[in-house]
Amino acid sequence: MQNYIMVFIGAGFGGALRYWGSDIVYKFLPTTFPYGTLFVNILGSFIIGLVIYYLDSNKLINHDLRLFLTTGFCGGLTTFSTFSFETINFLKEREYFLAGSNMILNVFLTLLAIFISYKLSNLLVGKLNF
Amino acid sequence: MEIKGEAKLLRIFVGETDLIGHIPVYERIVQEARKIHLAGATVFKGVMGFGGTSRIHTAKILRLSEDMPMVIEIVDEIEKVEKFLPTLHDIFEEAKSGGLITIEKADIIKYVVGNKNN
Repeated sequence: MQNYIMVFIGAGFGGALRYWGSDIVYKFLPTTFPYGTLFVNILGSFIIGLVIYYLDSNKLINHDLRLFLTTGFCGGLTTFSTFSFETINFLKEREYFLAGSNMILNVFLTLLAIFISYKLSNLLVGKLNF
Repeated sequence: MEIKGEAKLLRIFVGETDLIGHIPVYERIVQEARKIHLAGATVFKGVMGFGGTSRIHTAKILRLSEDMPMVIEIVDEIEKVEKFLPTLHDIFEEAKSGGLITIEKADIIKYVVGNKNN
């Protein structure tokens, strides 16, 4: 039961941050492309990378906090459903370039974000060990 | 009911989430228009737009699709439309939300009351 509570609370915080974060982006970027969704997906991927490769790998967090941060917080922060919905919207409007860009950017940049957090974690571990 | 010749087209711009209590403003406007037996009212939902805050609303992006523009159009004789204006002002006051009301000349070509639901 405690696991579900951790996920529930984490997802609440993550979802609230997504709601805020995916909006604030449009104060700086145009509304012709779903930069907000892209931003929260990249941010969530970067955070989950740090949590797994740095915090969890080095036993800096316990099981509950790992669950809270990964399945809960990062799960709530990122959104595959919104990405799919917005891509379909482009396809419906025959905006194939934007649909393709959305797919490529979301997949490529989220993977890149995790890769960067993985490398950063290794760097931090190296420094700590030193 | 018959409308002939010169009339007025009343166009009201509100937001989808503008409410009076639990009732959307656009719905309240249509209800009030019906109460005073205006010739008809039609509500359109916009797919994109911005209002006084300059904030873009678009159906394509989920986060920006929360308060889409709604347009209510009412056409009737000049006197009846003008009689409705104070009610509209009251609705806007009550809702305390933004919006726009325009009025323009309209020439009625044909107005027919159907009987398929009678």
